[in-house]
Amino acid sequence: MSATVTEGVISPPKLQGLRYEGTSLRKSFDGAVVLDDATITFEPGEIHAIVGENGAGKSTLVKILSGIYQPDSGTLVLGGERLIGLHPHTAQQRGIYLVPQEPSLMASLSVTENLFVGILRRKRVSFVVDWRPMRREASGYLERVGLDIDPEMRADDLSVAQQQLVECARALVHRCQVLFFDEPTSPLTEHEADTLFDVMRSLRDSGFTLGFISHRLDEVLAISDRLTVLRDGKIVMRGTRDQLTRPAVVSAMVGREIVTRVRERGKRDFTTSKGMLAVSNLTLEPYFRDISFVLREGEILGLGGLVGSGRTEIAETIYGLRSAERGSVEVEGVTLAHRTPRACVDAGLIYLPEDRGRHGIFAEVEVTRNVTAGVIHRLPRRGPLLRPAAERRMAEEATKTTAVRMPTIDALMKTLSGGNQQRSMLARWLLAGPKVAIFDEPTRGVDVGAKDDIWTLVDKLAHDGLACLLISSELTELTVICDRVLAIYEGSVVGELSGDDITDARLGAMVVGSVAQ
Amino acid sequence: MPEEIGEKARSRFVTILRRRDAQLLIAILLMSAIVDVMRPQFLTSSNISFMLAGSVVLMVVGTGQMMVIVTRGIDLSVSPILGIAAIAIGFPAQNHNLNILVAVVLVILIGFALGIGNGLLVTVAGIPPIIATLATLSVYGGLQFVFTSGLTVITLPHDYVAVGLEDIVPGIPWLILIGAGVVIMAELFLKFTPWGRAIYAVGNNADAAFRSGIPVRRILFMTYIICGVLAGVAGFVYLCYIGSADSTTGSDTNTNLMSIAATLIGGTSLLGGRGRPLGTALGAVFLSVADTAIVVLRILPIWEPAGVGVLILLAVVTDRQSGPAVRRALRTRHHAEVVP
Repeated sequence: MSATVTEGVISPPKLQGLRYEGTSLRKSFDGAVVLDDATITFEPGEIHAIVGENGAGKSTLVKILSGIYQPDSGTLVLGGERLIGLHPHTAQQRGIYLVPQEPSLMASLSVTENLFVGILRRKRVSFVVDWRPMRREASGYLERVGLDIDPEMRADDLSVAQQQLVECARALVHRCQVLFFDEPTSPLTEHEADTLFDVMRSLRDSGFTLGFISHRLDEVLAISDRLTVLRDGKIVMRGTRDQLTRPAVVSAMVGREIVTRVRERGKRDFTTSKGMLAVSNLTLEPYFRDISFVLREGEILGLGGLVGSGRTEIAETIYGLRSAERGSVEVEGVTLAHRTPRACVDAGLIYLPEDRGRHGIFAEVEVTRNVTAGVIHRLPRRGPLLRPAAERRMAEEATKTTAVRMPTIDALMKTLSGGNQQRSMLARWLLAGPKVAIFDEPTRGVDVGAKDDIWTLVDKLAHDGLACLLISSELTELTVICDRVLAIYEGSVVGELSGDDITDARLGAMVVGSVAQ
Repeated sequence: MPEEIGEKARSRFVTILRRRDAQLLIAILLMSAIVDVMRPQFLTSSNISFMLAGSVVLMVVGTGQMMVIVTRGIDLSVSPILGIAAIAIGFPAQNHNLNILVAVVLVILIGFALGIGNGLLVTVAGIPPIIATLATLSVYGGLQFVFTSGLTVITLPHDYVAVGLEDIVPGIPWLILIGAGVVIMAELFLKFTPWGRAIYAVGNNADAAFRSGIPVRRILFMTYIICGVLAGVAGFVYLCYIGSADSTTGSDTNTNLMSIAATLIGGTSLLGGRGRPLGTALGAVFLSVADTAIVVLRILPIWEPAGVGVLILLAVVTDRQSGPAVRRALRTRHHAEVVP
């Protein structure tokens, strides 16, 4: 194929187009299958959207297609030619470009240099870079993606939206014809997103092959020509835009399977129970605004929302990891004004973080010390010295409650599976004797069995009076164990469901921003 | 990398051999034995206690350095802190016969104050430790120079000399008692107090530690103060042992590099979170024995820095945990992104 680019003159190249097929792609991480037998075809001159809930396998699929992950099995065929052992670098050489979720330009280099990195033009003496033609070309490419900026600007002087467009231009510079976008609009405003869509449409019309991940249904339906819906690593629906209706796509995304456990808690009435956590008008722009709710003793309140909707930021603000612009947080009627994790733990409020690896575990440390880390200052002591034997007994008891499976309690944390690490984290926080618990994606990255165990445990803790705030992007999780759910969309509470009204369908509609009928 | 889980059949002997302190002990004994064969006067009891005493300065300052490195920091200002402490008590001792107990209190206070300087820069100003302490290295070094005004401490009262050279009971020099005392207290502090445990937690994962309710900045601050205090005490030990001090004390013996070397050779992870005073002490002894061996074997002393460099490299590369981690970190960053 030849997208002829003569120096300095950029006419929209006439592409003959590249068809890109992935067949029976499979990928698992540590035994958990995240992509199962996915077959997908991207046609030139089409925008093909891949939609699905968080964790459905969209990102994994696109990362396989762009060479970042190697599939366990399955084949990739680009323009009739089989691709074997694809890596990000070879993918780019073949003409496949992934525009990442967060632009990854080299911040302190000029736009021109960013565009041409790896293929800098040389003068006749081959170690002298010839900047002049590159600058000229750069302006042409930038114009092509609708950017009117000086190519000599530093990349970090650009807005996120501009950086994203520079990424597109870079794909063109490298003569890529297959472009993937991984949730490109999540850092953008609506207007910026429209600009990006215009560029995407224009690329499509010149014969580029475009793939696009999103969980915002509105934009997907507006821009895509073809849709593939993933759920739990499997493709559950595919078709052209005209064949598919919005409700059909929503129900395919969230699934209609019967959940594993019956909600027994049912319609328990909490209105008379003691308020344990009261949040009022909590605001931190641009993440979320005017969040108010009361969480009662023994209640499991869900915060449902997509990644980027502000759920985690809300939790982190309650726990004092971020400073609120305004609003207050009360635990058991006492206002926590200057919140730090320590102050919150001492007040009986704990937070199980979403990112276990970064914010939870001490990987190189024994399970014992991992489990007691939340209560170091309250451990049994004799005089000034700790009593390791007593500490060990505490840790053993706590890990027994949460059913951690491990070789011994002295095993290093990193040797445990994701599920058992999460159980250890639960054990850590149980030792702190919480009254209010925030569980952020408590079953993320754990296998199905562990998931059910964790749900059962949370359920039991709530029965014993613990007030639980449960954050999840998995609708099933919320419908299975919550008494009440607040739906968060773009930083605001857009709806509330309780008891039997909590269904996947209603919640699903709310969290993608279309209010239930 | 082979996984070592569940292999219970592994003999206890091998398990012990994998420990850095055991390896070091063997290395020290082996080196001593070899040198002793070549130069039979090497392993006399007086030379042994000379070598042990010679390692005490390094042992004390290295213990502080170790704690800082465990938090993923570094303290490049231990050398002038040692120097300032030594001259600050050296001159009053020489000229006014300063009471030795007062001198001990004084060096602790000086180390405390200078440690606060580092702690403020690192935790309040948020300056990376290597830059903050590089700055204080200059500032404190300059102060040391100003304070001496070109003079040298040359004569000390008898009790200082006694601490530096004499035995407390026959066969056990004062210095070894001080070194052992510092190491044992540091071991107890790190293992059996909440603050010591917090140091490891912060070094392993500062984010997770903070979220677990550990006051990370306060712990870091404390660590730099402890390091300063120990450097100050090392200044006292130095003064008693060497018997003199001047504007170059601390930097002339390369205290910064040697304290880091003892720490790393002693099994402290450069990536933080792991390290023990005992290992550091053995690292200091190892360096002291090697130093003496160089003299005894009549190797040119100019080879010593190169030798120390090689030992540091060996220590880091052969380390079971940080070795592979360092190699991985150097190789690529893509692999950080494994879990979807």
